[in-house]
Amino acid sequence: MAVVARNQPGVIYEGTRIPSPIPSMLVVPPEVRESDDILTVNFGPNHPSTHGVLRLVVDLDGEDVVGLNALVGYLHTGFEKNMEHKTWWKAITYPERIDYLAFQANEYAFVAAIEKLLDIETPPKATWMRTLLLELNRIHSHLIWLGTAALELGAISLLWYCFNARDLVLDLFELVGGTRMHTRYFQAGGLAEDVPRGFFTECRKFADTFPSTIDQYETLLTNQKIWLERTKGIGLLSAADAIALGQSGPVLRASGVDWDLRKAEPYLAYGELDFDVPVYENGDVYDRYLIRVDEMRESVRIVDQCLEGMPSGPWITDDRKVVLPPRHELHTSMESLIHHFKIVTEGYRVPEGEVYVTVESPRGEFGCYVVSDGGPKPWRVKFRAPSFVALEATATCMTDALVADMIAIVGSLDTVMGEVDR
Amino acid sequence: MTFDGLPGLVEARESFGETTLVVDPARLVEAARHLRDELGFSFLSDITPTDYLGWGEGSAAGYYGTASGRDINAPGSQALARTPAPKPKRFSMSYHLLALTSPPARVRLQVWLDDGEPVPSVIEVWPTADWHEREAWDMMGIPVTGHPNLVRILMDDDWDGHPLRKDYPIGGEPVRFSGEE
Amino acid sequence: MAVKRLKDYGLKSERLLWPTKGPGVFEQELGVEDLEQKLMLTTLERAVAWSQSKSMWPDQFGLSCCAMEMIAIVGSRYDIARFGMEAFRASPRQADLLIVSGRVSHKMAAPLRQIYDQMLEPKWVIAMGACASSGGMFNNYAVLQGVDKIVPVDIHVPGCPPRPEGLLEGIIRLHEKVVAGVPPAYEIRGVAE
Repeated sequence: MAVVARNQPGVIYEGTRIPSPIPSMLVVPPEVRESDDILTVNFGPNHPSTHGVLRLVVDLDGEDVVGLNALVGYLHTGFEKNMEHKTWWKAITYPERIDYLAFQANEYAFVAAIEKLLDIETPPKATWMRTLLLELNRIHSHLIWLGTAALELGAISLLWYCFNARDLVLDLFELVGGTRMHTRYFQAGGLAEDVPRGFFTECRKFADTFPSTIDQYETLLTNQKIWLERTKGIGLLSAADAIALGQSGPVLRASGVDWDLRKAEPYLAYGELDFDVPVYENGDVYDRYLIRVDEMRESVRIVDQCLEGMPSGPWITDDRKVVLPPRHELHTSMESLIHHFKIVTEGYRVPEGEVYVTVESPRGEFGCYVVSDGGPKPWRVKFRAPSFVALEATATCMTDALVADMIAIVGSLDTVMGEVDR
Repeated sequence: MTFDGLPGLVEARESFGETTLVVDPARLVEAARHLRDELGFSFLSDITPTDYLGWGEGSAAGYYGTASGRDINAPGSQALARTPAPKPKRFSMSYHLLALTSPPARVRLQVWLDDGEPVPSVIEVWPTADWHEREAWDMMGIPVTGHPNLVRILMDDDWDGHPLRKDYPIGGEPVRFSGEE
Repeated sequence: MAVKRLKDYGLKSERLLWPTKGPGVFEQELGVEDLEQKLMLTTLERAVAWSQSKSMWPDQFGLSCCAMEMIAIVGSRYDIARFGMEAFRASPRQADLLIVSGRVSHKMAAPLRQIYDQMLEPKWVIAMGACASSGGMFNNYAVLQGVDKIVPVDIHVPGCPPRPEGLLEGIIRLHEKVVAGVPPAYEIRGVAE
């Protein structure tokens, strides 16, 4: 199964490419700095190819990258501190904006943590609908990744193709959640509203036509000579290095480690669905590209199965202490009125404790650590962002790389700076 | 999986299906190596510092606030208002570990620290701890000894204070509402 | 179908309309009959303003979620090329319009001001989304509460994130503003307090 690195104290292990002593930074050796003509270039926060506000300070010896330092924090928003000041219900709006490409995956991690602390069960319709939406989010994220990664390496037309397909996915989100991005559709206990009429038909139409769309996009890149030259053998990351650096998701699976949280620790309805997890061996940029394209195909398969097997029934649990009662009950039942009042004014209270919930977001393992003191507001919320650790791996992937490969490598790690900086 | 052989183990508790191992900060690196080498926790998922200043002084744990969960069928069996259990020290550092086995195993390694008490770096055990520990220093002010590059990561380099502490204000601006003129 | 020009309604400014849309917001405010008296525009200035609005190149300044919707207007559904603006310049020296899309943290405020300063006049700024206009839902230590604290803003586009059509409405209003002769924001007002 997976590789476990066992080593002596003081040494990571033989054959590691992780720089030492600082694992996330390539430092120019002093003798190189004195003898050679080193040029320090700043790929500043405002750069067309760095997927957001990432700053890379790079030392170049000709075209070779001999020094690399990734500086982040240009999008730090203070999510965690803000969420400590909002009630549990209001705080659900925040996690969506952390990873703004797969927004509902973040929302789901936080909501799952609340549900774990509250120990409530969601009805099956909500579970399956959440699975469907998470897979649509995965498709959305990979489409944007594909469009922008191809754009940066020169395959510009793919940007328009992928964003056109992305608009179809966003239409589905708008149909179900009211807005294209950041739908805030998940609630502690299920979904915020019932699924509107017409959603399943539109989703079925999308799922039927999308696999051929992916095939069309693949013909543009997969066997294309320029793409192969620019991505094959670039940005190598071995399996043991990837685990030591905490990588997960497509980056880890491209290095040969068969690890996917949807299979290893099934959550939502993934345990009952039939899908494959692509794993490739080489650990280069090309394999990461192949994995994401294959994951899009698998996601459409999952969407298909969710549409087939979607149960009917309530969309949210009926635990009145946490969920608003339906409005017609407020006219007849005094307790419902009181519950409604307490939930809307004070907010529901979550039992004391700490939990850590992980979700397989399109970037990898997205974790949410929640500490509750039993009150109406979270005490501490921390998000474990996979892009944060992916940037730590930049230095390892960039050992013996050229400056032109830097864009390909940073693109293949699929970082979203909102996640990195939170 | 038994954690009796863990060096420096102070307490092992289970709640919500998760295992938390509290260890002595001085023996953290030994415990980390033991977990990685003997028990196979090769994947460090997250390092989270938490500030418990003011724990239990604000809103009391309410009707649903028992650590063992809620029993909706027997509401009367729970105490009404209860303050949460006090914490040993002000800060906790939680290391979330994962064993990439089948079935997977997760564990939380936790140390408790006072204000200014340093914690040793686990960067030689899991290199990914580099940026997590920098963030712990930047956001919470927990000094990490043995870290090769302990500088601020999310805030400006010359920022004053540690924003995620409970005594650091939320900041921002007061919002003027039009009816208040 | 024949496009009706403003002069068919008896108005004087040169502007492309689609059949059902009336005069623009600024023209209504200023009173279209007196446009030239109100702003003392010469024909040359009007021509220059018209051409400025027809190829106003934006600068690539996508920060976070709003940037995704900004890239969506480059896409084929909400085509921004019909306004002549599909050339998102990487260098601010070649750009006319700065669309600040996303939350601006205090660390990013200095690069933002630097990019703004590197742009050549005339230059316009659109604050896209709630976070750029006012700090949005993040009223805290890390986010600049409104980008108009450091750069003068012409148009604020509300939304979180605004739909691409919303951003296009903001861009169209900016074009109307330019054609109506309203000077860019740095001449009218400085930055907010």
